[in-house]
Amino acid sequence: MRGLTKVYETEAGAVHALRGVDLDIRQGEMLILLGPSGSGKSTLLNILGGLDRGSAGKVLFHDQDLTAATEHQLTLYRRRSVGFIFQFFNLVPSLTARENVALITEIADDPMTPEEALDRVGLSDRLDHFPAQLSGGQQQRVAVARAIAKRPKILLCDEPTGSLDSEAGVRVLDAIVDVAREVGATSMIVSHNVEVAAIADRVIRFRDGAITEVAENRDKRSPGEMRW
Amino acid sequence: MVIGNMLDRKLLRDLWRLKWQVFAIALLIACGVSVTVMAFSAQKALMAAQDRFYEDTRFADVFAVAVRAPMSTVADLSRIDGVAMADARIMESGLMQVPGLTRPAIARVISLPRDETAGLNRVRLSQGRMPDPASLDEAVALKTFMDAAKVKLGDRLTTVIGGRAFSFRIVGAVLSPEYVFVPSPESFMPDDAHQGVFWAPRPAVERSAGLNGAFNVVAFDLAPGASVAHVLQQVDRILAPYGGRAAYAREDQVSHAFLEAELKELSTSAAVLPPVFLIVAAALVHLVVSRLVEAEREQIGLLKAFGYSDYQAAQPYLRLAGAVGVVGVIGGGLLGGWLGAAIMEQYRAYFRFPVLDPAFDWPAFLMASTASVLAALAGSAMAVRAAVRLSPAVAMQPPRPAVYRQGLLDRLVPGRAIDQASRMIVRNLERFPLRAGLTVAGLAASLSLLVGSQFVFGSFDYLVDHAYYRAQRWSDAVGFAEVRAGRSISEIRRLPGVFAAEPLRVAAARLKANGREERARVTGMEPDATLQRALDRQGRPIPFQGRGVILSAALAGRLDVAPGDSVRLDITDGAAPSVVLPVTALAEDFSGYSIYMARAELNRLMAEGDVASGAQLLVAPDLRGRFYRAIEAIPQIVAASSRDDTVSNWRKVMIEAFRVSMTFYVGFAAAIAFGVAYNTSRIALSERSRDLATLRVLGFSRRECAYILLGELLVLGLAAIPLGLLGGNALASGLVTAYSRDELRLPLTQTPASYAMSLSAFAVAILLAAVLVGRRIWGLDLVAVLKTRE
Repeated sequence: MRGLTKVYETEAGAVHALRGVDLDIRQGEMLILLGPSGSGKSTLLNILGGLDRGSAGKVLFHDQDLTAATEHQLTLYRRRSVGFIFQFFNLVPSLTARENVALITEIADDPMTPEEALDRVGLSDRLDHFPAQLSGGQQQRVAVARAIAKRPKILLCDEPTGSLDSEAGVRVLDAIVDVAREVGATSMIVSHNVEVAAIADRVIRFRDGAITEVAENRDKRSPGEMRW
Repeated sequence: MVIGNMLDRKLLRDLWRLKWQVFAIALLIACGVSVTVMAFSAQKALMAAQDRFYEDTRFADVFAVAVRAPMSTVADLSRIDGVAMADARIMESGLMQVPGLTRPAIARVISLPRDETAGLNRVRLSQGRMPDPASLDEAVALKTFMDAAKVKLGDRLTTVIGGRAFSFRIVGAVLSPEYVFVPSPESFMPDDAHQGVFWAPRPAVERSAGLNGAFNVVAFDLAPGASVAHVLQQVDRILAPYGGRAAYAREDQVSHAFLEAELKELSTSAAVLPPVFLIVAAALVHLVVSRLVEAEREQIGLLKAFGYSDYQAAQPYLRLAGAVGVVGVIGGGLLGGWLGAAIMEQYRAYFRFPVLDPAFDWPAFLMASTASVLAALAGSAMAVRAAVRLSPAVAMQPPRPAVYRQGLLDRLVPGRAIDQASRMIVRNLERFPLRAGLTVAGLAASLSLLVGSQFVFGSFDYLVDHAYYRAQRWSDAVGFAEVRAGRSISEIRRLPGVFAAEPLRVAAARLKANGREERARVTGMEPDATLQRALDRQGRPIPFQGRGVILSAALAGRLDVAPGDSVRLDITDGAAPSVVLPVTALAEDFSGYSIYMARAELNRLMAEGDVASGAQLLVAPDLRGRFYRAIEAIPQIVAASSRDDTVSNWRKVMIEAFRVSMTFYVGFAAAIAFGVAYNTSRIALSERSRDLATLRVLGFSRRECAYILLGELLVLGLAAIPLGLLGGNALASGLVTAYSRDELRLPLTQTPASYAMSLSAFAVAILLAAVLVGRRIWGLDLVAVLKTRE
């Protein structure tokens, strides 16, 4: 991305969420975005995920220009290339774990089976449970299975452990790291939690809509080695 | 006070936020209130006009007809116990050519007493002046005839009555209580241009009719508390020697009976429709407030934690429901007033009163308003009760996550046979069975209203086809002033343009069986008649068997007789003996009560030899003008009707009459379908907007999301169709019973066209709701769902 700028017009005046961000993301790497609330990291995630468009600048995904894409093209981009994991899981309450994953595999081009996806996050024995019958950590792992079942090229996680306790959070991160590696997805995790940075290939710090630091992580650890 | 203001502000904000839902529910309440107000107001206006007109003109209580009774009998008639006044007159009928009309018009000429203001059934002058009592060539005419036939004051008309030409000049236009509604004798539909009624001074009518010192019609004013049955009996007795026919009471007077039937129909509308609207509106208020309470559970808990009582916490929701009711009531009052005025305009074309002012029935409005607001409050009270009963601590916690189960569908459909989007639809239906049930019931009610009202058009087509093309196949019919020899038909057969003629003998009668009695018309036909036949239910001609009679199925129903039973027949025209005859078959007909028998049998009963009272003809269309000119010159012919005129008039009147009421029905039904569909989908959207936004983020297109949201509505709409069709047919048969009059019974015939019309209106209303809600999927905030908990 080059010169990515996002300005929200509000009644109180223009708010600059992103101020000319330049960033190159490498295929298959694990990125962690850190920064305080309102620093622009979620805005960046939304634009990368095809949910929002920049006010200026360019975002290229492989050869596709996301800034010039139509609404329909963005829908196809999300459907084919992007996996999303939300802070509050956002599972469909009326569907079982298997069905929540099937919801996505039914519309994807080359998906794995829902059973395989759930097996990869260690939920083979919870296939027919409804979200209300699962713990928070289990629900988030269903969400991980749902996100990776389509074999996405890019996996976007917005505070994936934000509403989980430490142990459940670790298992979720474990799942994300493992399956992202297996399907070869580029992952980007937005977090408040500095500890999470340990699992990244690169750590990007945000402040006031701009990147303040991009650091290679030379001491990359597995989630199992972390505690918070 | 501050708290009150805060809650008021919340009320206003909620109303504004839910404005379309409020509008849809208020629309239903408005429909219910407006029908009530319209029906009662129209009834009130008609009754007021009727009372005033009858009183001003001293409309009679009892009527009788004789052939020729001497004026001296009036004294005897006046002495009957219960009679306050008797008014004897001469009424003669003839045919008359009116410039501009092809077919001759019927002219009824009625004598005016010397002092018109002392009589009964007085006319009310609306234009011109009354005739000079000494004049022999002045008359006043019924204003409806003058308007329709474009006859002006000063015009001269000529008719043949009693064998003599009677020529007169119109000097005034009048209205009469006997002719508020003037149906043509053939079709029972108004045909004002061909229904001339004239009043002329007695000497002129007496001379033309050859009834010096005699009368042939008499009307009675009864004293309060008089026995009508006794008076009828005595009148019949006194007039019997003078060719008296059965006397009848006001309730059987044609114009009055039509007016009363209309008033009864208005009561039916007021009784049937409004409860449907109120029940649906209450159910919708319940659904909307339930959702609101669900979403604001924590706020209710908070208010209670602050020390609000249950009632205070519930108040905003009750007031919201009350406000919906009030909005609906105000709209309904305005709409009802407008509809009332519109229907009054329609009535003015049918019922000729000197004054017919629109009224607004305030008591009916207040009653409907109270019922509406109470229905809305009841709907919300049930929803709020559960929430305010929770302890504040429980209420403030987020509600337990929705628990879904594998339902019936999962047991019926193997795992992969159905896509997940469809599965979501089914699971939601299974999880909220009450809502799904209410929605289906509401949509079915709407479709029922459509199916139950749209059938009339198909039924009319069937009726016209049956009556005028299959049972009766004549092109023209003529009636005689008095019976004529059967062989006179051959004279008629020789008139220009006539290539077939069959004689007919019609007489009025009373039919008794099983202790019941009905007035009916005996039609004596040729056994081999081709121009009129009695048809059975399958449309096959029924042959006569000996002395046996064929009855209208409706008449048999009222007397509770079946083929094989016997009935007692008293012919009231002339002096036939009372006879018991076997019923051999039932005929399917839709207008009047008929007794069909062979003409020869009828003539034998009446001991009059081979006579006919009229004839049915086939007339070449291109020679019709010459045929009409020829019959105008025949004094014995006093009635002429044309099938084509009758049918086209029938269609015109019926379509005009039903266009308005059917537009109401379609509008009201569409309002219900829209209100139910919009509210259910809107509630579903508010519950599921997070799921839908999530799916959008995950790559679902808007169309796919719309399917998940609106597929539910589609399923419910489809489920409502069989119920709606069943309910509609039940409603139709109820309406047929309620609206059937002696003169006209509507057959219950559902045609593919009427079903198609109903289903299209139903589909359009649901589609409109679907589009309005579906549009909101386009505006879902995708970014917000990433960060918010439900």
